[in-house]
Amino acid sequence: MKRNLAAAILAIWAISSTAFGQDNPLTAVDVKSAKPTPAPRTADGHPDLSGYWKGTRDTTPVGNIGKDLQAFKLPLTPAGEAALQHNLTATIDPESLCIIGGIPRHNASGLPFEVLQGAKKIAFLYWYSYFRLIPVDAKRKHSDDPDPSFFGEEIGHWEGDTLVIDSIGFKDEKVWIDENANPHSDALHVVERWTRPDADHIHVETVIDDPKFYVKPFTYSRTWVLGKPDEELQEYSCSENNVDKDHLGFGPGPIRPDGTRGYLNPAPLPPAVPKAPEK
Amino acid sequence: MKSRFAILFATISVAMQIPALAHHSFAAEFDASQALRVMGALTKIEWTNPHSYFYIDVKDENGAVVKWTCEAGSPGALSRRGFKRGDLKLGDTIIVDGYRAKDGSHLMDARRVTLPNGRVVSGASAGDGGPDVTGRNP
Repeated sequence: MKRNLAAAILAIWAISSTAFGQDNPLTAVDVKSAKPTPAPRTADGHPDLSGYWKGTRDTTPVGNIGKDLQAFKLPLTPAGEAALQHNLTATIDPESLCIIGGIPRHNASGLPFEVLQGAKKIAFLYWYSYFRLIPVDAKRKHSDDPDPSFFGEEIGHWEGDTLVIDSIGFKDEKVWIDENANPHSDALHVVERWTRPDADHIHVETVIDDPKFYVKPFTYSRTWVLGKPDEELQEYSCSENNVDKDHLGFGPGPIRPDGTRGYLNPAPLPPAVPKAPEK
Repeated sequence: MKSRFAILFATISVAMQIPALAHHSFAAEFDASQALRVMGALTKIEWTNPHSYFYIDVKDENGAVVKWTCEAGSPGALSRRGFKRGDLKLGDTIIVDGYRAKDGSHLMDARRVTLPNGRVVSGASAGDGGPDVTGRNP
């Protein structure tokens, strides 16, 4: 009987992981080490955040900026609630139209990203071939009236071993703050505090402040794990053949109680086609 | 034993949960109540981003040809599953199980593709919130 059970486990695992291949290479299991390797450091002594970083299955729900809030409920103002309803009923997901997701949405994404750290600039590279290039300069101040952008006007500085990225100057149209169509306004102010607690992990603590759409600031925290040495971003041209744009409806569709987008009870697919016996 | 299998299946079900990776939400484009199967000859392959497409001619009960567009994952996603462009050639008959677009067009999300040799592969855009190859939520 034990042998039967073991065979069943192997068979099901083979089906689940190979024949129908989940995209495991894009995510990683967070294996905690009893003796983690210290984070590498650059020549100027700062932790080196460079690496190819992958989300883990410990992060749930992915794509929801309210992940860390009670019942995932964001503290919307009346204007924020109206903006959410507009996004749900009158806008197509900007990212599906190949518009940059921006910050903080990219930090909530399930997709890996890559960091390249220089002495005076740090680059975050994303799927869909998007990037942000952040000056690291404690003396630099925000512009009086920065041109609105999806990533905002970003300025970095070090506080000990923490890279702080302070961003203002965001767009207020064609933006969703996450995959669930939650809104942000042009008053958005994002402060990210990035650390590399050990060689295999990168972590962010984010404070999201948008007094137009949210009654109080809220936080979003997340840890990613280091990819394998030969893993890196691949070419991904979002607009190469975007057939979807003519078929997508408004909003993300239903949101399930677990905070993820999708239907609760999909109809089952037709039974699998029996494989013909080998001749 | 039944309970042990129940635990086993629950464990695997949890293990198979994967974060959202998709370019768009399944539910923004496809109707999970309209599961269907189409079978026909492959007329065009687009091995492109953000999605791959299989175009097939499907004969209805009167013999008329209906052209279906079947949306699958990105080339990177498919090749990571061992599903390569070279596995298909024009004229092949394939079977596609999936869900129809909400707008009623002849566009479907190809969650499960049966190749001419009987091999079954997932065509899903993983992490889009859509059902898995069995039609259940991931």
